[in-house]
Amino acid sequence: MSQSLLIISRQSPWSGPSAREALDIALAGGAFDLPIGLLFLDDGVFQLSHAQQPVQLQQKDLSANLKALPMFGVEALYVSARSLEERGLHEQPLPLAAECLDDTQLSALIDRYDQVITL
Amino acid sequence: MKFAIALFSPPHAPSSRRALRFAQAAIAGGHEIVRLFFYQDAVHSASGYVVNAQDELDVPREWREFVQTHQLDGVVCIAAALRRGVLNTEEAERYARTAANLQGPWELSGLGQLHEAVQMADRLICFGGP
Amino acid sequence: MSTLHVLSHSPFGDNRLSSCLRLLSSRDALLLCGDAVYALQAGTAQRQALELMPEVISLYALDEDVQARHLTPPERLNLIDYPGFVALSCQYDKVNTWL
Repeated sequence: MSQSLLIISRQSPWSGPSAREALDIALAGGAFDLPIGLLFLDDGVFQLSHAQQPVQLQQKDLSANLKALPMFGVEALYVSARSLEERGLHEQPLPLAAECLDDTQLSALIDRYDQVITL
Repeated sequence: MKFAIALFSPPHAPSSRRALRFAQAAIAGGHEIVRLFFYQDAVHSASGYVVNAQDELDVPREWREFVQTHQLDGVVCIAAALRRGVLNTEEAERYARTAANLQGPWELSGLGQLHEAVQMADRLICFGGP
Repeated sequence: MSTLHVLSHSPFGDNRLSSCLRLLSSRDALLLCGDAVYALQAGTAQRQALELMPEVISLYALDEDVQARHLTPPERLNLIDYPGFVALSCQYDKVNTWL
């Protein structure tokens, strides 16, 4: 049986290539039909805020990669409720079908996966 | 135990040395390293063009010698490497660059190699940051 | 499954330690290395947070990092070397390094 891998993305989309490279790990795993989970934690939840304008910083639009996740078979998407609330993002609808989890649920989530990468 | 080791930091980061010492201890302890995978800024830890003062620790050289001595599978992520100017001869020619700074024992390949390593190993151990 | 959480960032300019402490479950352990061992600095809120962790959660630090910084570790801390780090990686079901 395949080992499951949880990728925890903690970087804002504007802090360098880290957020994109975390997503790339998830997309590559999905392309190989592996059981991949993706959790947005801490500043990683800024990847989910609406109407960002990457063109202002001559960057590519990360939200296109986010939307590609289910197409690549990465459907286990999670977000920390606390991180959203701390950053004032808890009242907006999420741009993708991610499950909102409290701290206890996050512990259980990490527990469930075989391996973890926190970026 | 079979380890997959992923490195995310450049050679001057303490975590690159830490990863190296961990890998050496794993081999010394009779464990197996199924693959080393260098991603993000770790691609610089595989560069053959890093020059250190003689009395300073030379982490890229130590990595190279470690991989060669134990005949390990050392993979550098190709997309991360190209973005950061770490190229082998083939890629230098493809993109018309004047020199190649990545030589054996390292191989350039894709993220699929990281996932394959996770599947082959009992444990994935990541090193990065400071 | 049990997780060995590994931190290497200083807890004085960064929220990794506090995030990690909230997500620890009872079978987990914490390993401090690099600048993360500054969390052991006496008289700080970070050290207090570590001392207040439930007893079931083991606390480890890389000996070389503690010695290099000349820190006085709390009683519950287990100092390890690299063979010890490898052994812990085998003992816990997975290793989560907070990069």
